[in-house]
Amino acid sequence: MEERIVKFISALRSGGVRVSLAESADAFSAVDNLGVRERDAFRLSLRATLVKDAESLPTFEELFPLFFGSGEPPPLMNLMEDLTEEEANMLAQALQAFGQRLREMLERLLRGEELSQEELDALGQMVGLNHADDLRYREWMARRMQRALQFEQVRKAMQEIMELLAQMGMNKERLDQMRQLIGQNMEALREQLRQHAGQRIAENMAEQRPEDQLEGLMDRPFQALSDSDMQKLRQEVRRLAALLRSRIALRQKRAKSGHLDAKATIRANLKHGGVPFHIKHRDRTLKPKLVVICDISTSMRHCSELMLSLLYELQDQVSKSHAFAFIDHLEYITPDFQGNRANEAIQQVLIRMPPGYYSTDLGHSLQNFSDDYLDTIDHRTTLIVVGDGRNNYNDPRLDVFRKMARRSRRTLWLNPELPMLWGTGDSDMLDYVPLCDTILQVSTLSELTAAVDQLLVEKS
Amino acid sequence: MNITSAFQSIEQTTDALGGQQYIANDEIATTVYLSQQLGKPLLTEGPAGVGKTELAKAVAGSLGRTLIRLQCYEGLDETKALYEWEYAKQLLYTQLLRDQLQQTLAGASSLAEAADRLTDEEDVFFSMRFLLQRPLLRAILSDEPVVLLIDEIDRADAEFEAFLLEVLSDFQVSVPELGTLAANHVPIVFLTSNNTRELSEALKRRCLYLFIDYPSLEQELDVVRLKVPDLAPQMARQAVELVQSLRQIDLRKHPSISETLDWAQALVTLNSESLDRKTLETTLSVLLKHETDLRKVQRQLGRMDGQDDDEDETDWDEELPRRRRID
Repeated sequence: MEERIVKFISALRSGGVRVSLAESADAFSAVDNLGVRERDAFRLSLRATLVKDAESLPTFEELFPLFFGSGEPPPLMNLMEDLTEEEANMLAQALQAFGQRLREMLERLLRGEELSQEELDALGQMVGLNHADDLRYREWMARRMQRALQFEQVRKAMQEIMELLAQMGMNKERLDQMRQLIGQNMEALREQLRQHAGQRIAENMAEQRPEDQLEGLMDRPFQALSDSDMQKLRQEVRRLAALLRSRIALRQKRAKSGHLDAKATIRANLKHGGVPFHIKHRDRTLKPKLVVICDISTSMRHCSELMLSLLYELQDQVSKSHAFAFIDHLEYITPDFQGNRANEAIQQVLIRMPPGYYSTDLGHSLQNFSDDYLDTIDHRTTLIVVGDGRNNYNDPRLDVFRKMARRSRRTLWLNPELPMLWGTGDSDMLDYVPLCDTILQVSTLSELTAAVDQLLVEKS
Repeated sequence: MNITSAFQSIEQTTDALGGQQYIANDEIATTVYLSQQLGKPLLTEGPAGVGKTELAKAVAGSLGRTLIRLQCYEGLDETKALYEWEYAKQLLYTQLLRDQLQQTLAGASSLAEAADRLTDEEDVFFSMRFLLQRPLLRAILSDEPVVLLIDEIDRADAEFEAFLLEVLSDFQVSVPELGTLAANHVPIVFLTSNNTRELSEALKRRCLYLFIDYPSLEQELDVVRLKVPDLAPQMARQAVELVQSLRQIDLRKHPSISETLDWAQALVTLNSESLDRKTLETTLSVLLKHETDLRKVQRQLGRMDGQDDDEDETDWDEELPRRRRID
């Protein structure tokens, strides 16, 4: 049992749930306490100790039955038993009409035989189940196994048999009953395949070592990131955010020891008869207000997404933030982030704004912004643009951008492109440069993190 | 109901909580029992108003323990959470004891000697007498076992969380002037979070985790029956069904259990006999706290009733200027 739990924990880990050593130790002592007899208590004791995130609960609930069996697949029924001799003869005749393989399968269904472990393994081998290590492949693998068993043909053959038997004059009621039982048997086999696929994948997951090449990924340019790399980086963003947060908090704490706030000190010490026990300092740290405008066209998506994720992890460090995304026009996307991860939020936005080829239009988007949302920028706002400044030869609307930059406290442009490429082709970057206070080239996650750090430092 | 100082089994936990008018499902009862058995803090998360705080109160009530509550907020620090010296009192005492002090210092031949004598008496001023105990220290120093509730931990700053780690793992604190103070009884600790921000991994690691979601129809009905027994059963079911369906709609804020209860109470107070349109219109504001939500639901309910009142209620939402207000 213990081994099973250990395996389960490593499957959880490769399913993306963070489980520390201390937590697995807790899990064992919880199981010691409540025992394994009662399934529900056992499940809850593992859940309370291992999963500390509402978002990871579904992963747990999906994996748990695969490791600690949710019970057997529904039993198969044998229909051959209660056939009369005459009926059995008819059936045998009808079966003659089919080829060898199909007949075997049909007989199995009629007799209600489950697939043996060897058969399941052989099937799994055939469809490549041994290489699957993600539960998303479960249904697909199960379907492939069904196809390998010729489920579709079997279903058709069954119908034909039923018709044949009807022609031979079998009782209609009996036929209906048989049809129903066969349907149930097929369903049960399907479930057996599904469970086998799930269990197999879960075991593969447990064996798989969580890969660790984050260091390399941190410094890989955004264009070179694959989807699975992004997946890893998304998790990494949270850690980075926590790191940044504590740095910011420390910085603010130290910043507090700045100027003496005489008024506040006197007020705070009135109760001590004016003896200054409590020294109050002027709080110099203004939490910044942010307006972020992100290009989410295909070339920029990774960069924008990671930027937005970082910012939303750091919500508590900024007083207000408004996020906008654009391709050919601008959309206000802050509401999409409520309760969503950045990548889900961006997916939602993308559904509303399907990317087309060469449709990026920053100028028009800036116009949108100044028409609808200009009031989000005031003298305390830091305006951040994440984009490559490539405008498809549209009007860059420098006038609008100048107006926005003038309204804001600070204007920051994050561009993933190398400076030497700015101004080439359809890039209007060089025109925007003089209007910004700071321009940072960010082509990797570590550069991005540094940029966000910078952003939260300079407040004066 | 007999009060014991600890839960004996999962079933007994359910019963004991039931005795405190808290309906605990298996999940809640098992996790609470487990957290007591392992001596680990229990972190509860879930939407606002599903009874996270109530759970801690019920546990305290059913074990006959005192509940000590620490409400977290931004800027909460050790002096508010743990202890503070009572400066004013110290000052007052020095004033009142001036004569004694002068006597003590009377025969001193040099300044150094006077200072030494004063140092000997220093303990008087830095003793438990002048220590203002805040919730955490009170929970640690209490003579009887207590339940400590750290409410809405997600509102406190990250530093406070780190500080809390130390307290939660050892249940002892060091006060520089007094030395280390250890807990007489390890309290049962509840932490609640509304998930407005991600808590640190380290804190989560030290806690057991319980996610409380909105209850199912039957569970919520049980709660309503228990807390508002005056509501007619038929009405109660209709009301809860409506609330449950409201939670399916995309609203800015979904009605919580406490709001269901308020609403049920309102229906009783108004002597409503059925959930007709008029009753709903007058009482829905108890459930929904946003103007936009209220209007959205009223429109949907109107549509469900099949009444053609869309005429006079012209969809003026759509006619608002395109410019969206952001706040």
